[in-house]
Amino acid sequence: MNITRINAVAYKEWREIVRDRLFFTLAFVVPAALTLLFGYGLSLDVEHIPLAIIDYDHSALSREYAHRFSDSRYFDLKGYAASEREAGALLTAGTVRAVLLIPEHFGQRLQSGRAAEVQTLIDGTFPFRAQTAKGYVTAINAAFSLGVLADYLAQARGLSPADAQRALQTLRVEVRYLYNQSVKSVWSIAPKLLMAIMMMSPPFLTALGIVREKESGSIFNIYASTVSRGEFLIGKLLPYLAISSLNVLVLWALACFLFGAPFKGDPLFFFAAAVLYVGCTTGIGLLVSAAVRTQVAAMMGTMILTVVPAVLYSGILIPIPSLSAAASVIAHLLPGMYFADIVTGSFLKGVGLAELWPQVLALATYAAALYVAGYLLFRKRTAS
Amino acid sequence: MAAPALVSGPAAGNPATVVRARGFGKRYRGRNAVEGLDLEIHAGELFGLIGPDGAGKSSLIKSIAGVLRFEAGSLEVFGVPLLSDDACERIKDRIGFMPQGLGQNLYPELTVEENIDFFARLRLVPHSALAQRKAELLAITRLAPFTGRAMKHLSGGMKQKLGLVCTLIHEPRLVILDEPTTGVDPVSRRDFWLILGRLLRERNISALVSTAYMDEASSFHRVGLMFGGRLLAAGQPGEIRALAQGALVSVEAGAEVGQQAAALAQLRARFAQVDALGSAIRVFVDQGDDIQAADMVRQALPALPPQAVAAVEPELEDIFVALLRQRGLARPAQDRTSPPPARRQDADAPAIEAHELTRDFGAFRAADRVSFNVRGGQVFGLLGANGAGKSTVIKMLTGILQPSAGSGRVAGADMRSAGFAIKERIGYMSQAFSLYLDLTVEENVRLYGGIYGLDRAAIRSRLQWISEVAELKGYERERAARLPMGLRQRLALGCALVHQPRVLFLDEPTSGVDPIGRRAFWDMLFHLSRFDGVAILVTTHYMSEAEHCDRLALMYAGRVVAEDSPSGMKNALERDCGMLLEINAPEPQAALLALQRNGFAAAALFGNRIRIQSRQAEADSARLPELLRQAGQPGVTVVRRAPSMEDVFVQRVTALEAAELNARKTAR
Repeated sequence: MNITRINAVAYKEWREIVRDRLFFTLAFVVPAALTLLFGYGLSLDVEHIPLAIIDYDHSALSREYAHRFSDSRYFDLKGYAASEREAGALLTAGTVRAVLLIPEHFGQRLQSGRAAEVQTLIDGTFPFRAQTAKGYVTAINAAFSLGVLADYLAQARGLSPADAQRALQTLRVEVRYLYNQSVKSVWSIAPKLLMAIMMMSPPFLTALGIVREKESGSIFNIYASTVSRGEFLIGKLLPYLAISSLNVLVLWALACFLFGAPFKGDPLFFFAAAVLYVGCTTGIGLLVSAAVRTQVAAMMGTMILTVVPAVLYSGILIPIPSLSAAASVIAHLLPGMYFADIVTGSFLKGVGLAELWPQVLALATYAAALYVAGYLLFRKRTAS
Repeated sequence: MAAPALVSGPAAGNPATVVRARGFGKRYRGRNAVEGLDLEIHAGELFGLIGPDGAGKSSLIKSIAGVLRFEAGSLEVFGVPLLSDDACERIKDRIGFMPQGLGQNLYPELTVEENIDFFARLRLVPHSALAQRKAELLAITRLAPFTGRAMKHLSGGMKQKLGLVCTLIHEPRLVILDEPTTGVDPVSRRDFWLILGRLLRERNISALVSTAYMDEASSFHRVGLMFGGRLLAAGQPGEIRALAQGALVSVEAGAEVGQQAAALAQLRARFAQVDALGSAIRVFVDQGDDIQAADMVRQALPALPPQAVAAVEPELEDIFVALLRQRGLARPAQDRTSPPPARRQDADAPAIEAHELTRDFGAFRAADRVSFNVRGGQVFGLLGANGAGKSTVIKMLTGILQPSAGSGRVAGADMRSAGFAIKERIGYMSQAFSLYLDLTVEENVRLYGGIYGLDRAAIRSRLQWISEVAELKGYERERAARLPMGLRQRLALGCALVHQPRVLFLDEPTSGVDPIGRRAFWDMLFHLSRFDGVAILVTTHYMSEAEHCDRLALMYAGRVVAEDSPSGMKNALERDCGMLLEINAPEPQAALLALQRNGFAAAALFGNRIRIQSRQAEADSARLPELLRQAGQPGVTVVRRAPSMEDVFVQRVTALEAAELNARKTAR
């Protein structure tokens, strides 16, 4: 190991990254830009569902029922439709995603203590949203019928409305959300974005950085010189590790201060684990670069190896336990899942090494394996 | 650093061996790139590996540099057998390697100085030594004023010299340069060889250099000729010339087109290697010396006056083709088409008329009052370095670019008004061959036929014609990507001719094609011009192509600075600058110094030979051996050499550059 040679390689690499407009953008702009785009775009909260109501009843009670929906933050009342045909057109055009049909004699039947039926039409093209919408309708509906029933009971038995309610609801569910009290999806997503973007950005940079030299032929300067494989790889990867570590800080700041995610854990532990993680993903780039010769192939390879796993197999959209058996195996083979645990633990739960050491150990093993493989695959004499 | 100025060259004493190859072989996916190659390179020697693309030069060179694994035989560098990666590491401190591709191994975003510093630090050059070495190398390569410039903003010639500086910064004992002059104009190329020769001499460095240019052989001490993965021959340039038996004879068959064609057919019936070169014919006769060979050619052409036939000194390319043929490795061009019964009537009509063509890009004048005429049936060459304005002129003549001033007519159409009509009458073939590599030969022809609006019957007959003339029979269903470069080039030419144009534009058409393929290509062009009366305009900075033209225009800084036939240009050079004398001395470097001290300041060393230009060639040839004997250099021989087109180009452009520099100085 010779420090001068490592320095020479690292210094050259650094200057190239800073001066090459494409690399500069890729290194310093793209990660933050991705965080902003995903952070604002990828909200899993279903709110403000556009809604139309057909009210054939026009009674005080039907209007009150409709108010329950238009007052809630989950629905946006777009207006009243005159007929089912008109409502159907709105659904087809995508102007509304749900339609509530209140039949004739709705108020009359309820007041007389009989059951009434309300039809709900929900746009099912996006199942997740449809399911959630159905849940909201059911909940609002249950609350409304409880109120109607309580009124009826109070009138019939001469109870106060509050007593009537209590009498009807013998078993109540009391929910307290832990770690993310208001169940804001951005709290969970912003930290996990850090995981996903740091899964993609370092390998892209690293693979392109090495393959670029192969493509141009400047890699022969390395092959033909006295610099050792280890010296070259360290010198080459150091700038990318440093840039990625810096990006961890930037993305962490964005998550905390722009998206308002809480950070409850130990910053020192978190950053140490994050550096280990970007070490892992940099190693993925190193492996890709060993397998391909052109920058286009490096892009494709990195994309397949990192983008899909970062989004699908890391728990950012679908919780790991909900994955199929095969998908779960894939998830366990990739570093993203382990770091996702560390991110969630550090941001929301406030736990540290004591609880997360298995994940840290997995990442360390992963990194070690990648670098050993990368070192062995990098030869100063090529076969072709 | 301070190596002795006089170093024992390969000619003197018993030189140590730096590289030794025995039965060397390299395979790629089951295909042999190199096989059964034996080679030795001696200390202090500048060894040139010459051969066309795909000959296996790069594989050999990379293996010797220890950056490529190989399968067969053995390689020893500095006595270290290259058996493993680790063994290769042991030689790398003494090696400097510059890979193929102009400036490709340098870092475009870094400045000249940063590039050099990177290589120096990578090689652990001590800080104290670096400053001095850098200053010396930058001075010799004349890069010192540009140290702060980013490498990507350097010209081709400067990139190449910077690459050399970076390769030499750690003072290797052996430098290995893979095609350092490919893609560089002739002036920069000659400059590069002189600088390299000087640096190697002063520092006693051995060198292995490859090139695809046959005419660069004289820059080396010894050369190895490669073709098809084999080493055909190795030795001093003079020795190689003696390897092929026979002699080269030049025939001036007469000014009439029919006379030349008839002579060509007669000669091809008797001799195996016959090529048209402009208005002359070159015949390689396999038996006898110069006099006997010339006599045999005269017997074959009894109608010609005897003085029309003369033996000439063969170029290395003639020898190369002869060697391949004599060893049964390649078949040279045959007389494939019988001349059509009658020539077209409009054949001699003016086909291209450029009149004061001018084009400005802002304040920059890319073409400056360019005028020339090309008749039907004439091959006209536009010579010039990159940026001299060749492309601008072609673009104006093909109707792609509007001229700022002046006018031009192509095939009778005014190109200002008739942009589209022109396209129907011209064929155009670019450097990149403009073929669709994933289509077959037939599909490419059909595509071009369709683009030019030919009907099915016409396309079928053109396909027939192209596969016959371009010798593509049997390859019709082969994909263009799988064709050898020579065939690919002829297919591209065929596609450019699919609509039977009257005028053909060729933009640097023969890069990367081996000599055999190149001769077949020019044979095809010869037939097109002589029998079909097609006017051909070729732009090139390959001087070997210039020799094939009937007339040449030399362009410099947007202007045509000379227009003449190739032989006229050579004669003018001898008239203006004197004869070229080549001096063969037992100790070339000592003799060079002696000459420079005795009034021949411009004497320069090319490989083992010294060249001077002399206005009193007779007198100088007589007195030089005596002058050198008195200076302690006996045994010197002096021969007159005919200048090559490259000599003409380099001389003219260098003079123009010097004049421009002087003008700028006086203006200041």
